[in-house]
Amino acid sequence: MSNCRSYEERFQAYLQADAPARAGQFPEFVKALGEVAAEQGAAAASPWAGRAVGPQLDYSSLMKLRKFLSPSRDAQPAPAPRRIAVLGGPTTIQLRQLIEVFLAAERLPVEIYESEYGLFRQEILTPGSALDQFAPQVVFVATSVRDVSRLPDLNEDDPSVARMAEEEIAAWDQLWRTANTRWNATLLQNNFETPPGDVLGHYGVRHPAARKNYVHRLNGLMAQQAPAYVVLHDLHDLAAEAGAHRWFDPRFYFEFKMPCGAECLVSYAHSVVSLLRGVLGRSKKVVVVDLDNTLWGGVVGDVGPGGIKLGQGSGEGEAFLAFQRYLKELQQRGVVLAVCSKNNDQQAREPFQQRDEMVLKLSDFSCFVANYNTKADNLRRIAERLDLKLDSFVFVDDNPAERAIVRRYVPEVAVPDLPEDPAGYIRALAEQRYFETASLTREDAARTRYYSENAQRRELAAQAADLDSFLESLGMRMTVSPIDDMNVERAAQLLNKSNQFNLTTRRYTLAEVRQMAGSPQWRTLTFRLRDTLGDNGLISVILVRPEGDSLNVDTWVMSCRVLQRGVEQCARNELVALARREGCRRILGTYIPTAKNALVKDHYAKLGFTPAGADGETTFWSLEVGGEISPLTHHIQYEHSHGEVAHE
Amino acid sequence: MSEELRAQVQQVFRDVFDDPSLVLRDEMASEDIEGWDSLTHINLIVAVERKLGIKFATAEIGRTKEPGQNVGSFLRMIEAKVAAKQGVA
Repeated sequence: MSNCRSYEERFQAYLQADAPARAGQFPEFVKALGEVAAEQGAAAASPWAGRAVGPQLDYSSLMKLRKFLSPSRDAQPAPAPRRIAVLGGPTTIQLRQLIEVFLAAERLPVEIYESEYGLFRQEILTPGSALDQFAPQVVFVATSVRDVSRLPDLNEDDPSVARMAEEEIAAWDQLWRTANTRWNATLLQNNFETPPGDVLGHYGVRHPAARKNYVHRLNGLMAQQAPAYVVLHDLHDLAAEAGAHRWFDPRFYFEFKMPCGAECLVSYAHSVVSLLRGVLGRSKKVVVVDLDNTLWGGVVGDVGPGGIKLGQGSGEGEAFLAFQRYLKELQQRGVVLAVCSKNNDQQAREPFQQRDEMVLKLSDFSCFVANYNTKADNLRRIAERLDLKLDSFVFVDDNPAERAIVRRYVPEVAVPDLPEDPAGYIRALAEQRYFETASLTREDAARTRYYSENAQRRELAAQAADLDSFLESLGMRMTVSPIDDMNVERAAQLLNKSNQFNLTTRRYTLAEVRQMAGSPQWRTLTFRLRDTLGDNGLISVILVRPEGDSLNVDTWVMSCRVLQRGVEQCARNELVALARREGCRRILGTYIPTAKNALVKDHYAKLGFTPAGADGETTFWSLEVGGEISPLTHHIQYEHSHGEVAHE
Repeated sequence: MSEELRAQVQQVFRDVFDDPSLVLRDEMASEDIEGWDSLTHINLIVAVERKLGIKFATAEIGRTKEPGQNVGSFLRMIEAKVAAKQGVA
C-alpha cells in the first residue's frame, strides 16, 4: 500500500509538468507504469498512461504508452461501443494503432475494424465483405492523393480536366452512398494532400492539368458535393501544416506503403480522433483564461490598466492582441469564454473598461471570476455557474505552477502547455484541436449568449419572490415540432451531447436520426424555447415509437440550461396528446442509469408515471392516458410548428 | 563500436521489444529476438533514427531482416552513419 502512494506521486510529478520539462522523465514514468502493471494489473496502469497521451509526444513514446492502455472500464456513457472502420488506401496499421491510443486516452469505447491496405473500394462495394459483417457506424476512408484514380495528362485542356474531376468525385460519391445506404454510416473522408514536386513549378498555378491544381479542384468539388453524412477530414491542410517534404517520407511509402513519415502519423491520428470527438459531440465547450500575462503583458494590479502591454507599440503587445482576437473568433463560433484570475475583481475588470485596444470585452465572457482562491476551486465554481462539466473545459494560463495545480487537482480539465512567448499562444491552443465539430448550427454560434443570459436568469431567480412569479416573468414560449431538415443537425447534436438530462443515453448518428424522422415507426418531438431574455434554441428532443396500445419513449434528452423551467411538464403534456392521437392507452418510459444521469433518476415519478418494473438498475415507468388525466401546470405558452398558439 | 553507442542502441531494442534485460549479441538474427516482426521492425527503425539523429536509406530499412543479416551488421551500419554525421568517417 505504501508503494501505491509513491506511484501516484511519481505519476503526478510527470503529468503536472509541461511537455518540455517532462520529456527527460519519460523513461522513469514508463518504468513506474510497468511496475504498477506488474503489481496491480494492467487496469491500474491504463488511466495513468492515458493521461500522458498527447499530440506533443513522439511516435515511439506513444507506441510505448500503447502497451499500457486498455479499453477503459469507466468509459464515458455510451451503451453500445461505436463501431468504426478504418479503410486505407495506404497502409493504416500504425495509424490505426495511434488512433486507438488517442481514443483510449479520451476514454471513448470504440471497436475498430481495419481493412487491408488499398482495399477500401472493394470492402465498401462488396456485399458480404468482412466490413459488411462488421456493419460500421463510422467509416474513416483513410485515403491519400495516391488513391485518386487518374491524374490529368499535361496536354489535357481545362474542360476535359473539369470533366475528369467531376467523374472522380462522382466515383467517391458512389462509395459514400453505398456505405450510407448499407450501414447508415457516417463517413470520415480525407481530402487530398498536394504531393511534393510539381514538374511545372510556379507555372503550374496557371496550368489546368498541373497536379497541384487538380488536387485543389478535387478538394473544392468534394467540399461542395459531399452530402451532410460525409465529414471531411482536411488532410491537405494537415500535410501543409507539416510541410509537404516532412509529411511525405518516400522511404516509408516505398518500403511499407505508409501514408506519411512516422512523426507525422502522430498529428494525423490526433487530428482524426479530434474530429471523431467532434462527431460524437465530445469536443471542448469552454475556454477559461487567466488575465495577467495571458490576455495582456504585465500584472494589472502592479502597473495599472495604463501600464499593461497591449497592442501597437510593442511586438509582445501585438501578440497578446492577436491571441485575444483568436479567442474572440472561438467565442463567435460558440465556444464559451470565462475568466479565472488571481486578482482583485475591480482591478481585473479595469483593462476591459479603460483600454480601447482590448479586443475582448467583458460581455464576451459568460463567467468572470477574479479572487484569491485556488484556481482549482474557482474552476469548479465556474463549472457550477455555467452548469457545464469540467471535462468540457480548457484552462489557459501562462503560469506553469497554476497549470500544474489544475492538472493535479482537476484532472478532467484540459490544460495545454503554454510557451513563455505570447506569440506562441495561438499555436499552443490550436494544435490541441479541442474544438472540432462536424457541423456548425445557429445554436452553436448563439450558445455563448445562452450561458450569459442564464447567469442573468439565475440573478432574476434570486430576486423573484417565488419561483412561479419568476417563471411567469420570463414570458416563455415553446415551439414543438417534429425533426425535419431544418433542425435535424441540432437534434442529432443534442442527442449525442446530452449526458445529464438523458433518460436512456442512446446515441444516434445524424444519419440514423434522419432515418427516424422519415420512418413510419417513429414519432419525433423537438422543443424550442424563447423567453424575454432571448432564444434558448432547440433544447429538448424526444423519440418515441407507438407499439400496439403503448407509446414507447425510446429517448428523452434536454439541455441542462433549461432545467427548472417547466419544459419537462410541457413536454409530458405533449406526449399525452400524442399518445391519444395515436390511439395509445399508455406511455412507457425507461430510465437507464449511467455515471452522469442521476439527475433524471426520478424524472418519470415527478411527471406522474408509476413504476412498472425494473431490470437490474434500469427502471420502467408507465402512465395510463385512457381516462381522465389533468395536464401538468407550467408557465410556458406553446405553439406547434404550424403556428397555433395555446395557453394552459 | 563504442560501448556507449552500443548501449544506446541496446536501450532502443529494450524499449521497442519490451525486454529490459535484452543483451545484444552480434550473431543474433531477427528470429532470435522475440517480437521482432515486420511491424515492430518499423518501430525499431523509427526509434533508432530519432534517438541517434540518423537516417537509413530505403534499401537499408528493409535489409536488416533479410537472410544473412544480423544484429552485428545492423550495428555496423548504425556506427557508420553516426560517424558520418560526426564527420569522423
